[in-house]
Amino acid sequence: MHGQLTLESDVLYCFSVRLTTHPMARRENKQHLKQSEETMATSTTSRRGGLSSTALALIPIAIAINVALGQLVQSVLKLPIYLDSIGTVLVGILLGPLAGAITGLLANIIWGLTLAPAALPFAAVAAVIGLIAGYAGQYGAAQSWWKMALFGVLTGIVAAAISAPIATYVFGGVTGGGTDVLVAMFQSLGASVLGASFAQGAVSDPLDKTITYLVVWAIISALPKRLLARFSNIPQQ
Amino acid sequence: MHRTGLFIDRAGFLQRRNPLTKGTGVVLLVGATFLLPAPLTGIALLIGTLLPLAFASAVGWRFLEVLLKTLLPVLISLVLVQGLFFPSPDPTTVAVGPLLFRRAGLEFALNTGSRLLIVVGAPLLLFQTTHPGVLVQALTQSGMPRSVGYILLVALQLIPAIIERAVGVAEAQRARGLETEGSMLQRIRGVVPLVSPLIVGALIEAEERAIAIESRAFNAPGPKTWIRDIPDPPVERISRMVLLGMLGTLVVWRVVAAVLG
Repeated sequence: MHGQLTLESDVLYCFSVRLTTHPMARRENKQHLKQSEETMATSTTSRRGGLSSTALALIPIAIAINVALGQLVQSVLKLPIYLDSIGTVLVGILLGPLAGAITGLLANIIWGLTLAPAALPFAAVAAVIGLIAGYAGQYGAAQSWWKMALFGVLTGIVAAAISAPIATYVFGGVTGGGTDVLVAMFQSLGASVLGASFAQGAVSDPLDKTITYLVVWAIISALPKRLLARFSNIPQQ
Repeated sequence: MHRTGLFIDRAGFLQRRNPLTKGTGVVLLVGATFLLPAPLTGIALLIGTLLPLAFASAVGWRFLEVLLKTLLPVLISLVLVQGLFFPSPDPTTVAVGPLLFRRAGLEFALNTGSRLLIVVGAPLLLFQTTHPGVLVQALTQSGMPRSVGYILLVALQLIPAIIERAVGVAEAQRARGLETEGSMLQRIRGVVPLVSPLIVGALIEAEERAIAIESRAFNAPGPKTWIRDIPDPPVERISRMVLLGMLGTLVVWRVVAAVLG
């Protein structure tokens, strides 16, 4: 019953997009779309406590993707980046800041619960990454690759700034991974522990987050419109 | 089915406690390591509380094993990086073989390392002795949003399945000629073909899941019943009060000490 209803509204929706391509008509269309989208949201999914059923369904999968990719990228591609926030950024862009923040926060709690208790203190950083991704989605960053890259760099710098104090006061500036060499280098150049932690993050994080955002962009722009229309955070063209 | 998580199914002292009491204990222990002078506090708390509790709960050796596996790389790195490169005006050095360690750096490493034993060890012991389902139920019953509990439990169940699927995608793409070796640029190019099938699959699955959530009236208002009953006798509630009281005392003591200089 529900499936059918969803399909119909989607067909109608795609149809209305194709009907009006004239620039003058587009603005009107946009407003009309926004309305129809709102009614659609209330008719197909119910909300309670801020999260829709779609969010409830997607967030756990995104968390599992974070964990699976974090492992896969390191074991199969052997890249010196983490790529463990693809799911978080995806949910942020598709479903908004709140859903993004929840995904990041819970993903790190799950990491802590299953594989690495050391991930727990960084849950706040992951939440902020999801929050920024949500605003990036609202802003319409997913439309062009350079906007995504820009948000990636920005997210990387913010993430470095928040994780530096945690890395310093909880872990003494090191993580036990390859990036500790950078911390040692910056300290030998005269930086404090906090300064070296931030400098290390400022070198690694923007690169990691830019690649993450670009991967998410590549995936979103390849998605069928029918699937994307389901997620209300992306401004519709 | 794959086993996810740190939980070990044994019967012991901590397994019989209420999850909330254990959680309060974790907060107290972690708080204490930051409020009391290091390095003694961390080591004393590990030997004095965590280890006896772990052995009384029949997870002692597993606890030590996982704790060491998690922390050993961090501790080694800590000693090397901070011991050799700690920025400090104190020029005193300690020679170990051909290496000249700085004293201030080694002290810093010792302080941080002993604190890490508790910051990582206390939650680890909680997770090893508490079934995730019981933990989430206890948190939900004491006010955590039900949706958060749902997300945590479903994610825990999904992780092995998604990892399996990810490995399958990687193998399938390799069979189609995807380069997973070679230059860095080549390998970065390999990310999208690995990730996109996973995510498109996830979005489609999310749709089905959303319909399932709707049809089971997950978002329906009103109280829900639980299939399991988590015992919470007065003893547990009193011990939670005591633990919180100890934490409060520590905070007050620390603030007063700081004000009086």
